Amino acid sequence: MRRLMLAALAAILLAPATARAGTYDLTIGKAAIDVAGKDQTAMTINGSVPGPVLRFKEGEDLVINVTNTLGEDTSIHWHGLILPYRQDGVPGISFPGIKPGETFTYRFPAQQAGTYWYHSHSGMQEAIGMYGALVIEPKMREPFRYDREYVVVLSDWHPDDSPHEILSNLKMSADYYNYQQRTLSTFVEDARKMGFGPALADRMAWGDMRMMPSDIADVSGFVLLMNGKNPEQNWTGLFKPGERIRLRFVNAAAMTFFDVRIPGLKMTVVQADGNNVRPVPVDEFRIAVAETYDVIVRPTENKAYTLFAESMARTGHARGTLAPEMGLTAAVPDARPAQFLTMADMGMAHGDMAGMDHGRMDQGKMDHGSMMKGMEHGAMKMPEGDHKMPDGSMMKGMDHSQMGQGKMKGMDHSQMGHGMMKGMDHGKMGHGAMMSSEPKDDPFYAPGSGLMPKAANGGKFLSYADLKAFRPLYPERESTRVIEVRLTGNMERYVWSINDVKYSDAEPIKLKFGERVRFKFINETMMTHPMHLHGMWQILDNGSGKFNPAKHTISIAPGTTVEADIEADAEGQWAFHCHLMYHMASGMFRKVVVERETAEIAR
Amino acid sequence: MKISQDFTFRTSIRSTAVALAVLAAASPALAGSGQPGHGHGDMPKQGHMMEGMKMGGHGAPGHHGAMAAIGEPGKPADVTRTIDITMQDNFYEPEEITVQAGETVRFRIINKGTLLHEFGLGTTAMHAAHQKQMMVMMEHGMIEADRINPEKMKMDHGDGHMMKHDDPNSILLEPGKSGEIIWKFTKPMALEFACNIPGHYESGMMGPVRIK
Repeated sequence: MRRLMLAALAAILLAPATARAGTYDLTIGKAAIDVAGKDQTAMTINGSVPGPVLRFKEGEDLVINVTNTLGEDTSIHWHGLILPYRQDGVPGISFPGIKPGETFTYRFPAQQAGTYWYHSHSGMQEAIGMYGALVIEPKMREPFRYDREYVVVLSDWHPDDSPHEILSNLKMSADYYNYQQRTLSTFVEDARKMGFGPALADRMAWGDMRMMPSDIADVSGFVLLMNGKNPEQNWTGLFKPGERIRLRFVNAAAMTFFDVRIPGLKMTVVQADGNNVRPVPVDEFRIAVAETYDVIVRPTENKAYTLFAESMARTGHARGTLAPEMGLTAAVPDARPAQFLTMADMGMAHGDMAGMDHGRMDQGKMDHGSMMKGMEHGAMKMPEGDHKMPDGSMMKGMDHSQMGQGKMKGMDHSQMGHGMMKGMDHGKMGHGAMMSSEPKDDPFYAPGSGLMPKAANGGKFLSYADLKAFRPLYPERESTRVIEVRLTGNMERYVWSINDVKYSDAEPIKLKFGERVRFKFINETMMTHPMHLHGMWQILDNGSGKFNPAKHTISIAPGTTVEADIEADAEGQWAFHCHLMYHMASGMFRKVVVERETAEIAR
Repeated sequence: MKISQDFTFRTSIRSTAVALAVLAAASPALAGSGQPGHGHGDMPKQGHMMEGMKMGGHGAPGHHGAMAAIGEPGKPADVTRTIDITMQDNFYEPEEITVQAGETVRFRIINKGTLLHEFGLGTTAMHAAHQKQMMVMMEHGMIEADRINPEKMKMDHGDGHMMKHDDPNSILLEPGKSGEIIWKFTKPMALEFACNIPGHYESGMMGPVRIK
């Protein structure tokens, strides 16, 4: 006893004067939640969905006890936190996981500030409730101010099928959840609009490719939640008119991308993925699965405002309210029409068509849609040589029969999107264009993409191109090498992969400690993939040079190539994966190993 | 020292003028906003669209009727008090100011941040209008995140239309620079000091001027 006390005393004396220690206890269990008209069992952290908002202080030495009361293994991963890899909470990579009945104690310092989140990294527990927001208060004054704040956790809940059922349904038929499939009646409608021939050609084109233009989201039927409440349950945050409110948005959904807006209010984006950015006033923003965005709003009128988070595929919405008093509500916007993928989203609207490999299309890696409309098979010949397709209109007149010849092998996704960003100079643009309020296309989407973000009010929609680091975390330097990360998959068999190899068959990606490498993401699929690297930042190249923003999750739209630099400054082994639950679970995952060179150790 | 003294905005003055004309058509009160001696007491908010921005080529002396409403440029000899303002990224110290009606105040302003900042006096509506113009300046590259671009500022329209960011109620300072404004507050009213660089006001770089 005495020795123990002495040890404790010594520990106190030896601890640096500035470090504060905070102990937190989390219990993993099951509880009933009612978001679909009946009680259903969720996996919970401290009994609720989402779990409690964890509030840490920058510089704090964290001690977090996680007790598993489930009958299966569990884990907690601290999404976006920089920490020793054994504290990262990924079973099989950072630690063995937490067995039933066990308590695992995480210990690491909070060495950053901002809005983050935490979730299970075991099986698909995250999809049934195991997530929560995590806020680290900064040591220094922030470059913005606010009078009150709310965490807004967006998520999705499937009321009918368990995650395992969903995955097996998808494996059985990738279109299982595609409720927007076109039918005979939509064919009749299309035929009326575009004429019988083109409508038939369109259907034949899609049929050939065994794809559907409505494949934006591969799972639907979700109830979409805001802070664990469905739209009718209407999560409400109070304010006094004139106050500045900081909203910390976290997308903790398994599969749902949200387009977020607050009709009547401008939102000023001040943080992305926990890092401060130069403030950008916007009308709407898209938040990919696993991303966070902090915005400041300032309602001056004494009335309610609707927080409206519509799914990117327009299959539903999460909704809440900012109100001067409880019970007040504002109008809930109508759903916008369903979005459909286009030829652009399968990477056909750019680069050299003559070099595209049609073989890939058969494997369901591409998507095509309204741009196919009006295409007449076999009736036209595609010109030889360069066939630039700046927009979908040029697809018209394409000879479809040529697409089956394996001639398109040389298609270079890397030429799109990214190159355009570099050196983009508003100063060079015409005055008329600048004054006009016409929204510009987002360079992080394929030109003509069916997913092209557009603000509901015609105003400003946040783009990745707008994100500029407030204080860069790293000095700018050249990366020493490029690692190509092709996002690949086979929709028919519901296998998702990186560079055509799924996780179970893959070697780890090896990085040298201290190097700066560039990941070149090439999305060869029809889906959008939010790629998350554990333990290290991905510095998104959006053309801002030394102000390129550091993100933990980078969303890559179909048919685009996006590059990001990684400073390999965290030794150990880390997870790297698509954050869409069923893509991760079916193989779009890699282990990244950061190793010191032997020579380095010797010195 | 005022940075933007002689810079000529070659930006979208034409479009801005169009916007002004549209607003003027929509609002009878605005039609007189450029006229000397026009009363501004009951002006609708958008009526202040151009306030705080001098438009060369249209600029008759004293055309800034609105300026008189928020006070007037002060004479150094009348200064009774100096208020130090520190600009940081992105906030002011102090966050609010109290002055007396009739008082002439010297604002000594230093930008200790790493970004370009403005210190401007005006009503909420004046600042809102100025924010739109600053957005245009940013998009045109006349101002960048951390500097004023003299090349772009000096570009000549050739059509006699010019804009200047040289109003006596506002100052734009690059990182490390300092300057001053001498202002006479004439009567009690709701004023704000603000930085209208895109996103700065919205994220809190503004504060009330309480006139007693």
